[in-house]
Amino acid sequence: MRLLAGIALLALLAPRHATAQVNRGEEVPDVTRTFALTNTRVVQEPGRTMERATVIVRDGLIAAVGTDVDVPFDAAVIPADSFIVYAGFIDGLSHTGVPEPRERPNRERPDDPGNPPDAEAGIQPDRAIHGLLDSEDKRLAALRNAGFTAVHAVPRGRMLPGTGAIILLTGNSANEMIFQNQTALFAQLNPARRMYPGTDMAVLAKLRQLFKEAERRQRLQDLYLTDPTGLERPPYDPVHDALMPVLRQELPVFFHTESALDLHRAISIQSELGFPVVLTGLNQSFDAVDKLQEAGHAMMLSLDLPVIPGQSDSDDDDEAPSDSLVVEPTDTAEKLPEIADPGYDENLRVESLADIAAEKENLEKRRAMEHKKYLANAASLSSAGLEFGFATLGVKPTDLMGNVRLMIENGLSEDAALAALTTTPAEILGISASMGTVDVGKMANLIVADGPVFEEKSNIKYVFVDGRRFEIEQPRRSNRRGRSSTEQVSPAGSWSFTVSSDEGDVSGTITIDGTADDWTGEITNELTSETVDLTNISFDGNTLDFEFNIPEMGTMAVSVVIEEDTFDGDITIPGMGAMPISGNRTSRPQSNR
Amino acid sequence: MIIIFMKRFFVSVCLYALVICGTHAQTPTGDILLQNATVITVTQGTFEATDVLVEDGIITAVGQNLDAPSGVSVIDATDQYVMPGIIDAHSHIGISNVNESNAPVTAQVSVGDVLNPYSISIYRALAGGVTTSHVMHGSANVIGGQNETIKHRWGIIDPDGLRMAGAPRTIKFALGENPTRVHGRGTNLRPASRMGVEYVLRETFSKAQRYQEEWDKYEQEARTNSRAVSPAYNGQLEIMSDILNGDILINCHSYRADEILMLMDVLEDFGIDQVTFQHVNEGFKIAPELAAFGATASIFADWWAYKFEVYYSTAYNAAILTRNGVLTSINSDSGELNRHLYHEAAKSQKYGGLSDDEALALITINPARQLGIDERVGSIEVGKEGDLAVFDRHPLSIYAVNQYTIVDGIKYFDLEQDSDDMRLAVDPESRIETVVLHEHDDQHLCLHEGELDLYDFLTNN
Repeated sequence: MRLLAGIALLALLAPRHATAQVNRGEEVPDVTRTFALTNTRVVQEPGRTMERATVIVRDGLIAAVGTDVDVPFDAAVIPADSFIVYAGFIDGLSHTGVPEPRERPNRERPDDPGNPPDAEAGIQPDRAIHGLLDSEDKRLAALRNAGFTAVHAVPRGRMLPGTGAIILLTGNSANEMIFQNQTALFAQLNPARRMYPGTDMAVLAKLRQLFKEAERRQRLQDLYLTDPTGLERPPYDPVHDALMPVLRQELPVFFHTESALDLHRAISIQSELGFPVVLTGLNQSFDAVDKLQEAGHAMMLSLDLPVIPGQSDSDDDDEAPSDSLVVEPTDTAEKLPEIADPGYDENLRVESLADIAAEKENLEKRRAMEHKKYLANAASLSSAGLEFGFATLGVKPTDLMGNVRLMIENGLSEDAALAALTTTPAEILGISASMGTVDVGKMANLIVADGPVFEEKSNIKYVFVDGRRFEIEQPRRSNRRGRSSTEQVSPAGSWSFTVSSDEGDVSGTITIDGTADDWTGEITNELTSETVDLTNISFDGNTLDFEFNIPEMGTMAVSVVIEEDTFDGDITIPGMGAMPISGNRTSRPQSNR
Repeated sequence: MIIIFMKRFFVSVCLYALVICGTHAQTPTGDILLQNATVITVTQGTFEATDVLVEDGIITAVGQNLDAPSGVSVIDATDQYVMPGIIDAHSHIGISNVNESNAPVTAQVSVGDVLNPYSISIYRALAGGVTTSHVMHGSANVIGGQNETIKHRWGIIDPDGLRMAGAPRTIKFALGENPTRVHGRGTNLRPASRMGVEYVLRETFSKAQRYQEEWDKYEQEARTNSRAVSPAYNGQLEIMSDILNGDILINCHSYRADEILMLMDVLEDFGIDQVTFQHVNEGFKIAPELAAFGATASIFADWWAYKFEVYYSTAYNAAILTRNGVLTSINSDSGELNRHLYHEAAKSQKYGGLSDDEALALITINPARQLGIDERVGSIEVGKEGDLAVFDRHPLSIYAVNQYTIVDGIKYFDLEQDSDDMRLAVDPESRIETVVLHEHDDQHLCLHEGELDLYDFLTNN
């Protein structure tokens, strides 16, 4: 429990994105707000392409698109002969620009956990995103580097974290970033901790309670506004008040689920309560296609894809030229398990305990088949005639385009992918008039790439947001895990680690013993000297993964990359997300050879 | 934005109507003919060399030399025993949450909202001949959540497909050590004692009565006054009112005779005349009182002494309750025990000498009656739903092995097609652990490198 206290301290620390460094696109200090992209190919929207065209950007808008366009005298001319211009991508849902809410210090269980204050229970529909935005959030630039120009940003939290806004990936303050405020009420099946509603079923019951009582209060308000004579004043509280625009069908609920089970539950509670909804996440929606077709809701599909353990992009490291300065970008697609004919035997009946290898192999094939369903999820929705926008919630910016490519390789058409990044989210968000296509009069949100945007070797050269030009320096795709020698790396030994954040660190030690495939270890928190055993330790290439369990907090997952005697990576804490962890080796095991 | 969503709203309202009507139609049903079996109907006797015909999910004939209508699959059940699908009156399988333990009263929550058709326990229950489970909220709270009666339609991944549509609503109550430990000792709130449990019950029922009165008053006023103001909506008291109105059956976790008598007193005071006591280990002490109230009992065959309030118990409980006229069932409360409920039922023959039909009734028609589904399942009768279990020996034999389990006329379990991996979904990010229990290089080693060779130990000893 004291280790818990130490880890819980992490909750107090302001979060910081622990993801790989992405070079921040610099806004070019232009002397003009007029640009001409000349003699270029313009993909105005999926299926509508113009060749040898000129695109004029002026005062934040697309002033002209055509083959017979004069370049204004004041334009900065960008010869774009070898480039392709696309509409800027729109992220259907994420927390981009929104720091994690700070947990209250010394958070204790409320005296009456059955009836906690709404905010502590995660019931904050009255919370607007304006005060939560931070223009310094690194993810803003990281998404822009990936071609995104606008984001539907929603607050973090539990069941009802607040309302979202459409923000532009430019600007130095919330005021400058917000394009449209109060766009949606964000909801998820995310129970409170150690207080009501502490389970999914209680979250659903709480939604019923809130909506039905809000409906009653709306009726009373209407009565009172019509004529207050003889009526007691209606009750007021900000939570029920915030639900009334939803009841009036003026504000949609963006209901986020990841598993198929949660998706079914969201669809059920929506049909029961009748609120306008956009379903988001939907990572396992291949198991609910019929129901989605029946329900006909708008959707923002997560760009997250699962990774089979041990098949991360570190697997290729050994093949990287040991002394080359130029390392080819890793091609995740090539490492996909070949499962066209996976050889999975659904009737394998091995003699118990007798043929573990055969059973393990069969289970791996089964897992690969299941993995494939996720990769083909977007394609299965699309081929069922369902449209969706893409959402980046929970996805590392550096993984986004690779994941889109994986979806395309698994059956999603490029046009459908482009629509999911441009026209469809614009339509669902109700901003088609200003974003989503390259057409005159729309906001100048553009991508300029040196090749077809979904091709892996293509690079984004410029991103225009609201007419401002950002030059994108491609992050050096040299493998961050690339190593320069052939020496054997081993995780064995004692390590000191630090989980860091802007406001403080938590340190301790980790000890790893053993040899390949038989690692053991323990982790000690310096604050409390509490020690727990590590589980699921795996070491692959130079990536060390392990987990440890803190009662009542759940399983912490650590994934770090070891470079000789240092490591860097993430620790994922249930309910808190990933935080950076780094370490130094303090001793190596005595050689026993 | 508004326009788009207005449009979507109206579309979804229309679809909603379709979904509600369509739920029944979506549940698949099948046709099957079991031939030449020993058919144990439980309610109508046992017949040798008899066929059972299920059409469109309903038993349409029980008799000899039935003709198979065209397209109906036929199973030769010669030398096999067909019994009604087993009904487990107390289970927690196939749900994502069991307890919402943050308050002593949580009537508003329902495990029916969190059914989990991927749960492998459903398949394992089928392997034990169980076709229906009463999946319940846990016993942390005096008044827990609502339960759900499900059918084991393995492979249907829409959670609604598990529901036994039309089954009566039920709710979980709990007395004794669990709620006093969780709330009294856990959060220093009521109840901290058995007296406190009774207080919570009476207080909550009284609140529900007042809530009903307020709504009655409002509805009366609303008839003449269009500006009448309705009382605040309270989802919890809505459910409590439904209990008072007899629309929800109480299933109460209980062990001791005194607390069971207490609940019957409380229910009598609030005009509630139906209750099923769960566990009821001291039911044998008060069997006549239970019978007089009309209370029913769902018990373990011989499981006790796992906490202080469960020490005073006897394996004769089923027989004593049955002989005193208390409708009794035997349940599992377990994802393991539910696979051999027929063994649990057989124990009532060793301890108390119940007849075959009386013993099998404990896991078929009796739980069906307790759950209010006895018109549909629980025995093999024409007109009932085609839920059947087929054993290679008499199901009360210790050697009996289930061969097939049929729900709504569809074979969901077949021993011959039971592969190693029957999961419906696999987390692609899961690790496949190899737990090496043996080094099998040399067949002769019982001890290998100082460690016990479990494989050899288990297979050669």
